[in-house]
Amino acid sequence: MESTYLAIVLSPLAAALIAGLFGRRIGRAGAHSVTILGVAVSCALSAAVLWRQVVDGAPADNVSVYTWLVTDGVRMEIGFLVDRLSALMMVVVTFVSLMVHVYSIGYMHDDAGYQRFFSYISLFTFSMLMLVMSNNLLQLFFGWEAVGVVSYLLIGFWYTRPSAIFANLKAFLVNRIGDFGFLLGIAALLYLTGSLDYREVFAAAPGLQDATIDVGSWQWPALSMACILLFIGAMGKSAQVPLHVWLPDSMEGPTPISALIHAATMVTAGVFMVARMSPVFEYAEAALSFVLVIGAITALFTGLIALVQFDIKRVVAYSTLSQLGYMMVAQGASAYAAGMFHLTTHAFFKALLFLAAGSVIIALHHEQDMRRMGGLRKYMPVTYWTSLVGCLALIGFPGFAGFFSKDALIEAEDLSRIAGAGFAEFCIVAGVFITALYTFRMFFLVFHGPERMDAEARSHLHESPWVVTLPLVLLAIPSVIVGWFATGPLVFGDFFGDSLYVRPEHDVLARLGEEWHGPMSFLVHGFQSPVLYLALGGAAVAWFLYLRQPHLPDQLRDRFGAVYRLLENKYYADWLAERVIPAAGRAMGGAFWRVGDVTLIDGGLVNGSARVVGWGAALIRRLQTGYLYHYAFAMVIGLALLAGWLLIRPGGS
Amino acid sequence: MAGTLFFYTLSAVLIASALGVITARNPVHAVLFLVLSFVTSSVLWLLLEAEFLAVVLVLVYVGAVMVLFLFVVMMLDVNVAQLREGFTRYAWLGAVVAAVLAAELLAIVWWKPDGLPMAATTTPRPADYSNTEMLGTALYTEHLFAFELAAFLLLLAIVAAIVLTMRRRPGLKAQDVSRQVAVRREDRVRLVQMKAEHDT
Amino acid sequence: MLPTEFAPAFPETVLGLGICLVLLVDLYLPARWRDVTYLLALVTLAATAMAVSDIGLSGTTLALGGSFVADPLASFLKLFVLAALATVFVYSRAYLQDSTYNKGEYYLLGLFAALGILVMISGASLLTLYLGLEMQALALYAMVAFNRDSPVAAEAAMKYFVLGAIASGCLLYGISLLYGVTGTVQLAEIAQALRAGGADDAVTLVAVAFVVVGIAFKFGAVPFHMWVPDVYEGAPVSVTLLVGTVPKVGAFALALRVLVEGLGETGVTWEPMLGVLAVLSLGIGNIVAIVQTNLRRMLAYSTIAHVGFILLGFAAGSREGIEAALFYTIVYVIMAAGAFGIVILLGRQGDDADELDDLRGLSQRSPWFALVMLLLMVSMIGVPPLAGFYAKWWVLAALLDAGQLWLAIAGVLFSVVGAFYYLRVVKLMYFDSPAGEAPLRQGAALRLTLSVNGLLVLALGVFPEGLIELCARALG
Repeated sequence: MESTYLAIVLSPLAAALIAGLFGRRIGRAGAHSVTILGVAVSCALSAAVLWRQVVDGAPADNVSVYTWLVTDGVRMEIGFLVDRLSALMMVVVTFVSLMVHVYSIGYMHDDAGYQRFFSYISLFTFSMLMLVMSNNLLQLFFGWEAVGVVSYLLIGFWYTRPSAIFANLKAFLVNRIGDFGFLLGIAALLYLTGSLDYREVFAAAPGLQDATIDVGSWQWPALSMACILLFIGAMGKSAQVPLHVWLPDSMEGPTPISALIHAATMVTAGVFMVARMSPVFEYAEAALSFVLVIGAITALFTGLIALVQFDIKRVVAYSTLSQLGYMMVAQGASAYAAGMFHLTTHAFFKALLFLAAGSVIIALHHEQDMRRMGGLRKYMPVTYWTSLVGCLALIGFPGFAGFFSKDALIEAEDLSRIAGAGFAEFCIVAGVFITALYTFRMFFLVFHGPERMDAEARSHLHESPWVVTLPLVLLAIPSVIVGWFATGPLVFGDFFGDSLYVRPEHDVLARLGEEWHGPMSFLVHGFQSPVLYLALGGAAVAWFLYLRQPHLPDQLRDRFGAVYRLLENKYYADWLAERVIPAAGRAMGGAFWRVGDVTLIDGGLVNGSARVVGWGAALIRRLQTGYLYHYAFAMVIGLALLAGWLLIRPGGS
Repeated sequence: MAGTLFFYTLSAVLIASALGVITARNPVHAVLFLVLSFVTSSVLWLLLEAEFLAVVLVLVYVGAVMVLFLFVVMMLDVNVAQLREGFTRYAWLGAVVAAVLAAELLAIVWWKPDGLPMAATTTPRPADYSNTEMLGTALYTEHLFAFELAAFLLLLAIVAAIVLTMRRRPGLKAQDVSRQVAVRREDRVRLVQMKAEHDT
Repeated sequence: MLPTEFAPAFPETVLGLGICLVLLVDLYLPARWRDVTYLLALVTLAATAMAVSDIGLSGTTLALGGSFVADPLASFLKLFVLAALATVFVYSRAYLQDSTYNKGEYYLLGLFAALGILVMISGASLLTLYLGLEMQALALYAMVAFNRDSPVAAEAAMKYFVLGAIASGCLLYGISLLYGVTGTVQLAEIAQALRAGGADDAVTLVAVAFVVVGIAFKFGAVPFHMWVPDVYEGAPVSVTLLVGTVPKVGAFALALRVLVEGLGETGVTWEPMLGVLAVLSLGIGNIVAIVQTNLRRMLAYSTIAHVGFILLGFAAGSREGIEAALFYTIVYVIMAAGAFGIVILLGRQGDDADELDDLRGLSQRSPWFALVMLLLMVSMIGVPPLAGFYAKWWVLAALLDAGQLWLAIAGVLFSVVGAFYYLRVVKLMYFDSPAGEAPLRQGAALRLTLSVNGLLVLALGVFPEGLIELCARALG
């Protein structure tokens, strides 16, 4: 199987290299053909691997391909752990990636960086597969960084736009914060278990349940600390509050990228990581609570922000944030399978929504403001109907994929008894209403109501070409049907086998599973729970506010100005992240330079006598004429200090 | 006893003249102070029975290097007053650092080393002992490698000096002797046939 | 034939003869045959390398009255220096061909510097070490002033010369104190004398402080770093390239021979001292680099920061730390050579193109060399799987093993700060529109070597085992 795995990983890489380095020679058609071929091969093989794992019941495969180096008994290697969890992710990643490749032929049609674009997305697919298929923490980290770098490159794809450059820098910097935690987490696990290999780390985890680490004079539970550090990495990559600020801005990238990276795959890496590390997280209850609470906050509060956005892509982006919060809640409640299932269904319907948004955007010649849309239903029937499917799936309308995954998730959370579960439940149930409200607000503003675009744009309106609509349809199909046959085995059945580990006392899904009698009864049960009515209520309110009484939202905004401004400014998180923190950093850097170099060395020591009058001018003049003396003098002072320190240091003569 | 007296007197002169080098206002005086300090050090070496080195010091440094220095100083006509402008301003700071360094170096003398062979006294050599010969032997056997390296260092110094100073400026009016010698009559003289002029 | 006593110094002999040959040949060659000098210099380096590999990585021989040592470390470092210098010559030729001062003396002085470094690498006595150091330094002073029409270069050379003289003076003073207390200049005997006692005496301590100053200056560690930015910016690019790369190996050898082999007994005193210098270098280097707009000046401060890391290896005070410092030095030289190679590639006649802005949009002008620069920058940050990552990793591991937690934390923190200015380079290359459409410097040798140089950073990161093995064996 090793060669199959290598082929899965390397075919997108080879395609990326060909498209990237020989882009000019092979031309546009060559670039998209080779990359689509690469990803298609990868996707087909991934499907075969999943088939083999699930249907043939092959055991999990742990192969080591290449040992990079061995130091102090720690092996650093490249290897693949392919079990049902990673096989599922592989299929999701390659399938969505394939769809996005095809879609991009249409979307990027007029772009000058066509070949570069295809090279990047193939490279991304490679990195993501390396991350998912890894069998050790180090490779996980490499993949983690690699997807981050490609994401950075793609957000800034239109590098002539200052906002794109700003957004990619922001994404990169925010992710650095997360990665710092992630790296520390890996280091902590390495320290605790002496290994980077998943299997060995997992095996060591139960014995470390009560281990502690001394930090200063406190004793902290070691495993929880390590897991929280790892989760900080996940917070960066999966955009959880407060490290979520980069994701909305990342919409500066081309829309296919938003669909592929910032909705379906990369941002779910954090969720996947928690599931992958479930044998460790299970023994770190504090970390689980942390995951739960952060996820719940993200789920509710970023959803609220989506209510006041007018940029269609940003609405979808905030919706993504909110749904990621849901997945994290599932992980925190130990309902890993439910979280992974929601991840899967979300990948389909959110990619669908993004691509549909993209279809609308190109139809309107890169107009993203919903206030200049409306009434598109009759111009773009395919986009309209597929969007409707996506929206219904997103709000959890009974029968659609999102219904099964989200309902299972909420029910499971309801049974959880770890700290913070009550708060989380409130957040996610309230979130259902909010989700429905902003989703249909977007839907109605775009496809219904008066046509607010200008005449020029209206005259060009037409449905997008088939390369754009085909992926929409292909993604709409699983958004409808996947819940019907997958919920049973995935969430309550034995689909994941032993690739996920849940301690019996945490096993909410098993308890929930006792009441599982097939999708139909689940559907019926859904009609009895308040969650569904909240969702329907949200949709109804959206209809009332934006179609029936379109002046009401403005009045509401005037009435609740403070709340509106708070939401519009995204709780001032951006302001904090963009102004306060960097300003503090810059001030510190500047202060170091001023105090350390200019004031202390040049000013305090060398020019100390010129301290009263004419300070500035004298300083500059003297710096220029007396340079060499200053240099030499600093050396002599350094020498005097070194020698003096040696002589008076304790233990010296 | 006389040796000790000699030593302290010469040391005092050496230190005083070294101070003179850096305090003299006139650069020529400074160079002359430097000459004095070289001469006194050379006498100190004589006391240490290093006759050859003492002679070489006087010959090379006083005889050659210092004369060169004097030429340069006189040619450049350095304006010391301008250079010294900042001196008094920073004098206090310089004094502090100098004091610290001096204290540290004095510490060496204060805290007597115990475990080291530093204080071993030398025994006087017999009268027929040739300092020069011994030095030569050491230089060409034991320190041959260092000697060869020093040779290369000098070669490098020559190359470096030439690289940095020899240049052909465009428009320089220098004579090219070989061209002057190689010149042929045809290049310089043109014989013109013309009719003789007659007085009218 | 050479007397057997000279056999271990055969490489130096070959190099010395080569220098004389290049000097004489270049003297009689017209300017348009400058390439003959260049080729001859490369041949000299190759011949020297062959002489070194003849000696190989076997056993330790003390020769020439105990002033010369031939050991595996020496052979390894010499081979690396020769290879690195050959690379530097290849890059420099492309630069000098376009300049108004394309003179054979560049290669000649470069060979002199190499001879000095080789002598330092094999130095077993303070005397030879000092002579090697001076030879290298003198050659570099002259090279910095090579472009005599540039006042900036002259100023840089003057600063370098005066400060270098002060540092040499300090080193020499320390050496004289050491000779005073131990009665010998040979490192092995000094070590022996100090083991017998007196390692903690005031004289020894002050001597150590003076010696450390001399070494720190050679490395360019704070607060003895002031010459670095001025020289890097003022000298011709081809000289900056040389100054920024090969001499660091010499400095490493100097530190290793003097501090570890000679003054190992006083380790408890110089290790914390180097630790302080290292942290200062990391701090000043990384922070000040952020505000630079000139690529060469930025690289100068980046050098200072890298030197901090090398010194951290020494400060760990363990064998592993020194191996890590060796590895770091090697990797640093490779990365720095590549980075300056890119500067040369960007420039053209009369315009050095050494501002950060000149990198704008390099990815569009030349995707391949933008990728090479990307590899170099990312490696300097220390991102796996590039060589720079492993270099940093090993130093940090050594520090942690030695229980120097705080030094390791400082190393990590300042590396994070440092990432900023390297990433800015990446950003300029990939996300800004090109500054101009001027073509990059041509030349197959330059381009080929530069590509290999960039890929080496990747190769050493993916397959570090070989080099690690070599480093460990060299320090045997």
